[in-house]
Amino acid sequence: IPESGHKYYLQFSTEDYRTGEDAGNCLATVLYPKKKSPPAVSIKCSHTKDQKEIQEEDNRLYQRIRHQSKPITGNNIPDSYGNIEPALEPVWALAVAGSSSIMWEKSTETVGYFLAQVKSVRQWIREDDFIEFDYTVLLHEIPTQEIISCHMRLKWLPGHPLKVKHFCASESHAVDEGSGAESGSAAGPSAEKGANF
Amino acid sequence: HQVLRIVPQSDEELQKVQELQDLEHLQLDFWLAPRGLGLPIDIRVPFPSLQAVKAHLEASGVSYSIMIEDVQALLDEEQTEMLRSSRQLPLNTNTFNYKAYHTIDEIYNFMDMLVAENPNLVSKLEIGRSTENRPLYVLKFSTGGTNRPAIWIDTGIHSREWVTQASGVWFAKKIVQDHVNNKGVASILETMDIFLEIITNPDGFAFTQTTNRMWRKTRSKNSGSLCIGVDPNRNWDAGFGEAGASGNPCTETYHGPYPNSEPEVKSIVDFVKSHGNIKAFISIHSYSQLLLYPYGYTDTPVPDQQELDEVSAKAVAALSSLHGTKYKYGSIITTIYRASGATVDWTYNQGIKYSFTFELRDTGRYGFLLPAKQIVPTAEETWLALKVIMKHARDNVY
Repeated sequence: IPESGHKYYLQFSTEDYRTGEDAGNCLATVLYPKKKSPPAVSIKCSHTKDQKEIQEEDNRLYQRIRHQSKPITGNNIPDSYGNIEPALEPVWALAVAGSSSIMWEKSTETVGYFLAQVKSVRQWIREDDFIEFDYTVLLHEIPTQEIISCHMRLKWLPGHPLKVKHFCASESHAVDEGSGAESGSAAGPSAEKGANF
Repeated sequence: HQVLRIVPQSDEELQKVQELQDLEHLQLDFWLAPRGLGLPIDIRVPFPSLQAVKAHLEASGVSYSIMIEDVQALLDEEQTEMLRSSRQLPLNTNTFNYKAYHTIDEIYNFMDMLVAENPNLVSKLEIGRSTENRPLYVLKFSTGGTNRPAIWIDTGIHSREWVTQASGVWFAKKIVQDHVNNKGVASILETMDIFLEIITNPDGFAFTQTTNRMWRKTRSKNSGSLCIGVDPNRNWDAGFGEAGASGNPCTETYHGPYPNSEPEVKSIVDFVKSHGNIKAFISIHSYSQLLLYPYGYTDTPVPDQQELDEVSAKAVAALSSLHGTKYKYGSIITTIYRASGATVDWTYNQGIKYSFTFELRDTGRYGFLLPAKQIVPTAEETWLALKVIMKHARDNVY
């Protein structure tokens, strides 16, 4: 759109990440303005799952995690061969959801991401009902092909939106320092125990 | 942890040992519980309790022997054995496990077995050496003739794309099977040769197994930089160094100091030029589920755009017919992004009309870490697409 930017019209279908079942269709417009700033998005989706079903699944996931006797930790999910230990699947699922918010913030008209691997995860036991995890996730950046390492702090209770704080290393193996904290985690890593970089 | 054996000779001795059973804090694990006089009692004693237990027994005059000095060592040994036996060198290419990812040595061993089993069809060529001096092997499948028109397939040029090397191994076996059964590509082999380079980037591949699973590039040193490696799919002499590659050695798409600086690339260039009769060139990557043809370095369409597009459509349809896997197709620059110095741009400009690049499964869910159980389905469906391209090359002589 001359003088304004680029506008994209999208029509896409969605599917349940776990089961592959159809989860509805969406219609969206995305306007990337000429000057760098986040895009303007309007989106409308049809849902095939009802709220109650979603709530029940969320609760099942939550209970699965809460009922572990020890704080959950893990590395390399999936492993080099694509395997995910069944016990770690819920933790991986949360990582997928949480890192999608990182990718949403980081992506631009020309740069996109995929979750390549959960490098490590550690659960922080809380006194309240929320579950909390510390992750190191690797994002695969397109088209640069770079693997970006991000530290992600995730907090969740069913019925509440996922709370995600993140900090990504600005380049995986460049010699120069990163240009500062990414958005989302104004408090910075120093406030968090055991920040792993 | 140690395992102690006690053979009680008297009721007192038996009682002394039974006393130990009640001391929960010792965390004793009775492999053989006290049963009676003269019958052995075996106890696994955790390290922190060893001193206390031995002291108790010695003070009571109960003799014991150390059956297992170090339980952990035994477990470790067993683990190694288990791994070794599951990775035991298969006796032949029929017992080889195509459903698993393999190490470089296992794949080299596979190649040798395949040649040994089919000496009249398969031979192994060394076309060069990698930066770290690993051999660059190409399997040649030929039923005879001299310098017949040929098809080239390479997998694993980007080392982290493991499903490609694994598929390459499967393709090799498949070609042999088709020939033996006089099906599939047997008819193609009557008039054409097939060259297959399974581990196109062995240094990178080794690195993904030992150090960094996400390594993509070669392992060459870059002068003036601490960063290692050149993107072998940006190092070809087609639009080299132009937009679509990086001049920074620390990046994943670094094109290298000059075209063909990488021995992994140069060896293929030399091979193609000296062979002079390659008619189809297919370079295999993952992931994204795409079938691509040139160009990546310019948006000028190739002269044969229409034909390549039609062949792609057929190949993709054949691929999908097996497991329903959806592929998109088109030129590199219109389908994914601008990329300069790419393999198939160079091969096309050399006159190899049927130059294609595949991006195999998946579309991002597992990405590079594709579960092993998808290896065979991926290889099978891709093979159908490859056959479409090979048949077209055979039937459209140029």
